[in-house]
Amino acid sequence: MAHANEHAHPVTGPKTYAMVLLALLVLTVITVQASYFDFGPWNTVVALLIASAKGSLVALFFMHLRHDKFNAVIFVGGLLFLAIFLIWTLFDIANRQPVLPSNLKTPVQEFPGAPLGGPVRPSTGQPRGAPAQ
Amino acid sequence: MSTATPSAHAHAEGGHTPFLQHHFREMSQQFDAAKIGMWLFLVTEVLLFGGLFVGYGIMHARHPEAFVAAHHHLDKTMGALNTVVLLVSSFTMVLSVWAAQTSRKKLLVIFLLLTLACAGTFMVVKYFEYSHKFHEGLLPGKYYSHKGDTVPGQFLFFSFYFMMTGLHGIHVLLGMAAIAWLVWRALHGHFSAEYYSPVEITGLYWHLVDLIWIYLFPLMYLIS
Repeated sequence: MAHANEHAHPVTGPKTYAMVLLALLVLTVITVQASYFDFGPWNTVVALLIASAKGSLVALFFMHLRHDKFNAVIFVGGLLFLAIFLIWTLFDIANRQPVLPSNLKTPVQEFPGAPLGGPVRPSTGQPRGAPAQ
Repeated sequence: MSTATPSAHAHAEGGHTPFLQHHFREMSQQFDAAKIGMWLFLVTEVLLFGGLFVGYGIMHARHPEAFVAAHHHLDKTMGALNTVVLLVSSFTMVLSVWAAQTSRKKLLVIFLLLTLACAGTFMVVKYFEYSHKFHEGLLPGKYYSHKGDTVPGQFLFFSFYFMMTGLHGIHVLLGMAAIAWLVWRALHGHFSAEYYSPVEITGLYWHLVDLIWIYLFPLMYLIS
């Protein structure tokens, strides 16, 4: 076939796309419902997993990546670098020691209203040792 | 396959479509080159938004109470509505690509206009959300002036909210401009099974805008 490369872009029909849209809408309902349940520390993970399922559907079907290995490698390569950026940063956040004012040359106010001087609880701005709100 | 027929026909006549640039050997080569270029651009977009997502992750980890308290000022219904609107617009966009692939020229214009309408709806909902927040003083950084907060530091959340949804909104507006240009070209009958690269790559861009919103929605509206 002289123009075989024309066949390299198979045409997906509206029925498939409608099914994908339906799946995306169902997943949207699921993610909203899931936000009313408390999975403790897994809340964000659950939300991101559902978002990733939706994102995969969009990339594979709407963006035609399931028929397009070359560009899929480019895209997933980009996502890989984003994952390195995000995960290594979160390692740092998880293992960082609290900032003690005694280590600083000048007192630092974390944000307006936060107490000066004493070590602060970064999440609330209240002094350490005070009961959590 | 229906896609191959008109193209093979044109080549059989020895004719070249006016849309084949002289530096490409054939239409499929031009199409693939345009697509690779778009995907490389989309990767830079992912990394652009990625920086903001990482910043959001850091501040959310450091100030979880402030982020949870601040996100209660957002309206989940509005966010969910906009998610549905964008998902439907992605669907109509991919149907425009399908219409172009199968040379359905009228359907192409209709689906492009539907996509444009969804994008417009998204921006209108966003306008109402933004004006509500401006009114309440829920603004980024030092402009935050909401009174009666029990949890300090909520301005941090709104800095990310406005940066991320604002940058996303700019992308929606640019996408709308690109789709309007496609409508104009489609009305002039430029697109067919043989030549639809602009529809395809604008579609890719539009789906990425949708993809970013898919992550923004739970991170902004559904924290618990």
